[in-house]
Amino acid sequence: MSQKKYWQGFGEVNDPKNFQKKVKDEFREELPFEDIDSKGLLDAKAPRRDFLKYLGFSTAAATLAASCKTPVRKAIPFANKPENIILGEAKYYATTYVQDGDVIPVLAKTREGRPIKIEGNDLSLFTNGGTSARAQASVLDLYDTYRNRFPSRKVGDKFEESTYEFLDKTIADALAGVSGKQIVFLSSTIVSPSTKEIISKFPNLKHIQYDAVSYAGMLLANEASGFGRKIPSYNFDQAKVIVSLGADFLGTWLSPVEFAAGYSKGRKIDEKNPQMSKHYQFESHLSNTGACADERFTHRPSQAGAVALGLLAALDGSVTAPAIDDNKLKAGIAKVAADLKANSGKALVVSGSNDMNVQVIVNAINNAIGANGSTIDWTRPVNYRQGIDKDMNDLVADMEAGNVGALFIYGANPAYDYHSAEKFKSAISKVKLTVSFGERWDETTSLCTYNLPAHHYLESWGDAEPKAGITSFIQPTIYPLFKTRPYQTSLLRWAGNTTDYDTYFRNYWTMKLGTADAFDKALQDGIMVGAGGTGASYSAAPVANAASALASAKKGGKTEVVLYQKISIGTGTGATNPWLQELPDPISKATWDNYAMISMAKAKELGVKLDMNYEYYPQKPVFEFAVGNKKVQLPVLVIPGMNADTIAIAVGYGRAESLGKTAFEAGQNVYPFISFNGTTVDYFAADVSITDQNKKQKIAQTQIHNSYEGLVEVVRETSLATFKKNPNVIPEYRQEMVEDFAKSTSDFRREATIYPDHSQPGIKWGMTVDMNSCYGCGACVVACHAENNVPVVGRNEVLRYHDMHWLRIDRYFVSDKNNPDDLKGVVFQPMMCQHCDNAPCENVCPVAATNHSTEGMNQMAYNRCIGTRYCANNCPFKVRRFNWADYTGADSFPNNQDQWIVGKLDDVVHQMNDDLTRMVLNPDVTVRSRGVMEKCSFCVQRTQAAKLKAKKENRVLGDGDAKTACQQACTANAIVFGNVHDKASEVSRIREDNKQRSFYVLEQLHVLPNVTYLEKVRNTDEIIENAEGGGSEKKPETSIPASLNKAE
Amino acid sequence: MALLRYESQVRAPLVAGDKDYHQVTEDICRPVETRPTKAWWIGFSISVLVLIFGIVSVTMEVTYGVGQWNLNKTIGWGWDITNFVWWIGIGHAGTLISAILLLFRQGWRTGVNRAAEAMTIFAVICAGQFPIWHMGRVWDAFFVFPYPNTRGPLWVNFNSPLLWDVFAISTYFTVSLLFWYSGLIPDVATLRDRAKLKWRKLFYGIAAFGWTGSTKHWQRHEALSLVLAGLATPLVLSVHTIVSFDFATSVVPGWHTTIFPPYFVAGAIFSGFAMVQTLLVVTRKVLALEEYITIEHIDVMNKIIVLTGSIVGIAYLTELFIAWYGGNAFEWHAFKENRLNLASPYGWAYWIMMGCNVLSPQIFWFRKMRRNLFVTFFMSILVNIGMWFERFVIIVTSIYREYLPSAWSTYYSPTIWEVGFYMGTFGLFFTCYFLFAKFFPVIALAEIKHILKKNGENFKEKMGELESETVEEFAEKHGHDHGA
Repeated sequence: MSQKKYWQGFGEVNDPKNFQKKVKDEFREELPFEDIDSKGLLDAKAPRRDFLKYLGFSTAAATLAASCKTPVRKAIPFANKPENIILGEAKYYATTYVQDGDVIPVLAKTREGRPIKIEGNDLSLFTNGGTSARAQASVLDLYDTYRNRFPSRKVGDKFEESTYEFLDKTIADALAGVSGKQIVFLSSTIVSPSTKEIISKFPNLKHIQYDAVSYAGMLLANEASGFGRKIPSYNFDQAKVIVSLGADFLGTWLSPVEFAAGYSKGRKIDEKNPQMSKHYQFESHLSNTGACADERFTHRPSQAGAVALGLLAALDGSVTAPAIDDNKLKAGIAKVAADLKANSGKALVVSGSNDMNVQVIVNAINNAIGANGSTIDWTRPVNYRQGIDKDMNDLVADMEAGNVGALFIYGANPAYDYHSAEKFKSAISKVKLTVSFGERWDETTSLCTYNLPAHHYLESWGDAEPKAGITSFIQPTIYPLFKTRPYQTSLLRWAGNTTDYDTYFRNYWTMKLGTADAFDKALQDGIMVGAGGTGASYSAAPVANAASALASAKKGGKTEVVLYQKISIGTGTGATNPWLQELPDPISKATWDNYAMISMAKAKELGVKLDMNYEYYPQKPVFEFAVGNKKVQLPVLVIPGMNADTIAIAVGYGRAESLGKTAFEAGQNVYPFISFNGTTVDYFAADVSITDQNKKQKIAQTQIHNSYEGLVEVVRETSLATFKKNPNVIPEYRQEMVEDFAKSTSDFRREATIYPDHSQPGIKWGMTVDMNSCYGCGACVVACHAENNVPVVGRNEVLRYHDMHWLRIDRYFVSDKNNPDDLKGVVFQPMMCQHCDNAPCENVCPVAATNHSTEGMNQMAYNRCIGTRYCANNCPFKVRRFNWADYTGADSFPNNQDQWIVGKLDDVVHQMNDDLTRMVLNPDVTVRSRGVMEKCSFCVQRTQAAKLKAKKENRVLGDGDAKTACQQACTANAIVFGNVHDKASEVSRIREDNKQRSFYVLEQLHVLPNVTYLEKVRNTDEIIENAEGGGSEKKPETSIPASLNKAE
Repeated sequence: MALLRYESQVRAPLVAGDKDYHQVTEDICRPVETRPTKAWWIGFSISVLVLIFGIVSVTMEVTYGVGQWNLNKTIGWGWDITNFVWWIGIGHAGTLISAILLLFRQGWRTGVNRAAEAMTIFAVICAGQFPIWHMGRVWDAFFVFPYPNTRGPLWVNFNSPLLWDVFAISTYFTVSLLFWYSGLIPDVATLRDRAKLKWRKLFYGIAAFGWTGSTKHWQRHEALSLVLAGLATPLVLSVHTIVSFDFATSVVPGWHTTIFPPYFVAGAIFSGFAMVQTLLVVTRKVLALEEYITIEHIDVMNKIIVLTGSIVGIAYLTELFIAWYGGNAFEWHAFKENRLNLASPYGWAYWIMMGCNVLSPQIFWFRKMRRNLFVTFFMSILVNIGMWFERFVIIVTSIYREYLPSAWSTYYSPTIWEVGFYMGTFGLFFTCYFLFAKFFPVIALAEIKHILKKNGENFKEKMGELESETVEEFAEKHGHDHGA
């Protein structure tokens, strides 16, 4: 075999060694770069590589020197990926919003292990999958920077951090030493069965439930009427006639979400056979519920008993009717009684009074109209409120007498909301061992020696039994953020049980349900419905006594004051929540403060001029209101529909500084105005004196004009009688427009414009809003806040009309034309971006930052927006919101939130930008920076996610796959969203079924909105004339409180 | 010999004082070549201070956001765009004087055109500040230019009137600047030739672009002036028309009005002439140019003011009538409640506008008033106040209460930085104007020489001598018989 050698050159043949060496050398020859001095490249003075080094260094140095200081943001990735977490994918856990007895079954949406949004649990039938504003906002409480972060004990005047081991030992020792004295657990209403068991097993523990706003009168009255100390379930959906005697059952009374779910069913209108429930409201101030009433009658707070008596007398004559000098009220009682009689068995009367006697009479009324068993369900009594006022009074007396050795407090804040808070404060100093489980440094926690903060509900295990037989479970959605511990664990430990509550709870339910699988299933569903109770029968025994007590009740003074809860703040628990503080009150549209609501008549009497300045400037006159020796100074807001001599003030404000900057300095505390009448607490004061302080205070309202000025293009509302008589007002109006603007083709959409039509070949998103169902609660507004990272701007920015709400609820008062104080109705109109197909905002943007999608959405490209605000000017609906300042900290410029001369930002804005608080941000939605415009996006992140999911599952997008946050939050199903090209979708169906009520706001502008509204119908017999007119003529009947617009 | 003489008696000379060419050059160059006076220093210092305050105001706004102004969710534009339209309007008189009057061969324009053109330029610079700094993200302002970019098919929106503004104003500024500067070149050359100091020679030498005054130069100069005048003439009409489209093409009641283009143009000329009056009444006095900017000029311009003021007045009334006659409830509301109603929050602004723009100029029907400097000055200020309010009325009173009563706004009043920004543009304007008056001739030196009566006067003088001579004397003097 010959050995051939293939060679390429002589070098390879003759000098193989050197050749190989050279082959290995990357640069066989000197590179052809030489410096002038003919030295090699690398020997040159500034060789090429060094040049690149210098270049790199100097560029970097220049960049650093020019220093756009980028704020450091810490992002810590998972070192070990948790099994169940997929980055970018949301997980939902069924849990339960529980707050002082309020129970709403919810789903908590978590992203990367952080709960970021609360949604209603659709499996919960009694709430119809709805939520309240407070439930929606509760996720923000989890990230509150002012939460108690660790256990502590008082040393001297200060609190020092401590450990649970140490405190357990100290407290156990202290408990051993209280022998002979009472050990008391003071809490708000506890709805958890497992917790109740723990409490009952604690040796010698006296449990006192205390509710800031009590329903003791009802509990006691029901007991007297033979039903036991219970509150029944109310079936508002079964009632044809609903009479509320001052109960704000859609806003704050007992379980508004549940009641709204039922109530709204009766308010939906079938156009083929138009009918709806009839809602009468007797009340002293204009409540959220009263705003929805078909007919309202006002009375003084001290007349609540007289109204109930009058009604009962008119119904069955078992009591004598009291003298009522107000003729309108008197006629109203007669009318309501007749209506109730005619609808026996299909009617319901509820009362918001905490007076046992009034509630006894109400029970008698309900018995007389056959409500028990039909609209009132005694088989499922509710557990929302269980406190008895006298128990608390006795406790304070015991504490003062030195009979209480240990006091544990959870959920109750008597140092703030007890009628004799000062007395409580002095009494607590006589208790040796005081422990608070407070999540925050509220007024009472600061007085206790030991503080062992409890978890937020999103960090907790637990259960809640809102109604007999219905259990809703709580499961944690995040590892506890701070060194907190369930108060149940503490109670177990101190009772000598070493299991913690988590295990206890698991064992409790596993035992009850039989298997661990059953327990897991229950947790997964979140809600479990079992059998209810048996009910009870009515006894008329206490009626006579109650009637005589009411008849002899003291008459009120010249002016009376009634205390109410705001839908946002409630009893005061919402005061620390920035979303809730910034949620405009449904009636007053005011944020951040409380104030005195007065009637127009009162305003005249007090010399408050309702002129132009009153409306256009936020400064409102301040008066001092005094009940006995208790005084507060508050600005007044004039609200039509108030009882002439009643002043209404919201509780829950005027909080301690330790609660944080959100609650502090917002409003005044009016709990001192409440009083104990011997059995229960009265939330009104029958005699208040008013003195003018000759000063003014600003109130931050998001809406200042109260009437829709009869502009039927904006708001359509009518009476049921008018609608029946003349159902085609809206179709005729549309027909007129078609005849005017689309003569040749009758295609209003295409012919009436010079702009080309957007082609929407696939999906077309649309929304319909039923103004008849919307009761203005604001849950959607907060849901939108949470879902879309809408910034909180603080009081001072709201005062400058800089609020950022993407979704607002417009509220219009409809008054009698001759007497604006005589309110005929209130219209709530949720207003968000209308996603016009012919959008005026789109064609004015010079840089096309806002444009139209093929799915009919009006979109914002924030990165492209340069902030000319032309779009906002040209938006007829005024739904676009501009980032006037760096509210979110998203700006790339440092130090631009320390405004000084103009537009100083409130502390809350900085609080919302805290690293902890920012954990609530929805990672699917861009946080907008200063200088860009933003607005409702139809929750485009949700529609995109739904489409993606459908695509992955290889199926057609179904109806309900994509729900907007506002739709999801709405208990009343007032907002329905979906694909309008899908004829079977709910939104298409509603539009098809409600052609006579369906209208577009400002349809004549031909902006072609994708949101339809359903006309508001009040169930009255009044025939509104000219209603067939349409066009732009004003309807004189619904004209405004004229005095609010004209200078005097 | 009287047959040889024909003299028109119709017009008084446009330049008084029987100047010859040299005297004109001396008079006009004097302020440029002497040291600045104390009054100049005071005025200039104040202007610069005010400008600095304006810079601070804008800095605050850019640092902290547009929230430094009191605009709100309903009122997206307030003082910013009001000032923008106002300044743009001011500019119009300059263009009208330089372009349209040039085409119409109005000789009197030469006395005022230089100052008016400078005013145009400075006013447009001031106007331009507002749309720039009113942006929420001014650092991205370049997005408004249709430049090729790497952002995919991202392009400007040619439907947007704001984009039209970008083109209209940049074109306007460019043409005005070229026009002004091309007119300046021969004058700058004169200054260069007269300069004694080295820096002046250098400065004016560069600025004169090598002007030699050759016939070819003059020929081209004239041609260029005509071309630029031809370009600028439609701009007088188009710029404010396009600015008015910002409003007219919108859906806002009170903005959405077809009358806006002519009405805005008339208003712009109206306010522009008022501003010219304000400036010239002072300038002619301070720089001792009364013989160049004569009372005749003032009179003529006052006539234009009463004419355009009346056009504006008719436009107001027409607009009002149509708002009522049109039967659109929203539009009528904007006029009746937001404007006419004196008790409404901004009713006063409407009536200030009416008073200043429609009623007060009527005083110029009287010749005595037209020729009264104090009245002229006072009126020019009134007109400018009125025209500012016109823009304010259009912008703010339309949007603060429009379609949805729920969105009706609280009272809008400017913050210190909004006022500061506006004042700052005055600082900018007058700083520029003072520098201009110091470094350039405020009267078009070359052009005014065209209309000097000196030639005629010389002729007359010589003719007079001739006429007074007898034939014999004439023959004696001019005969060719030089003594036999």
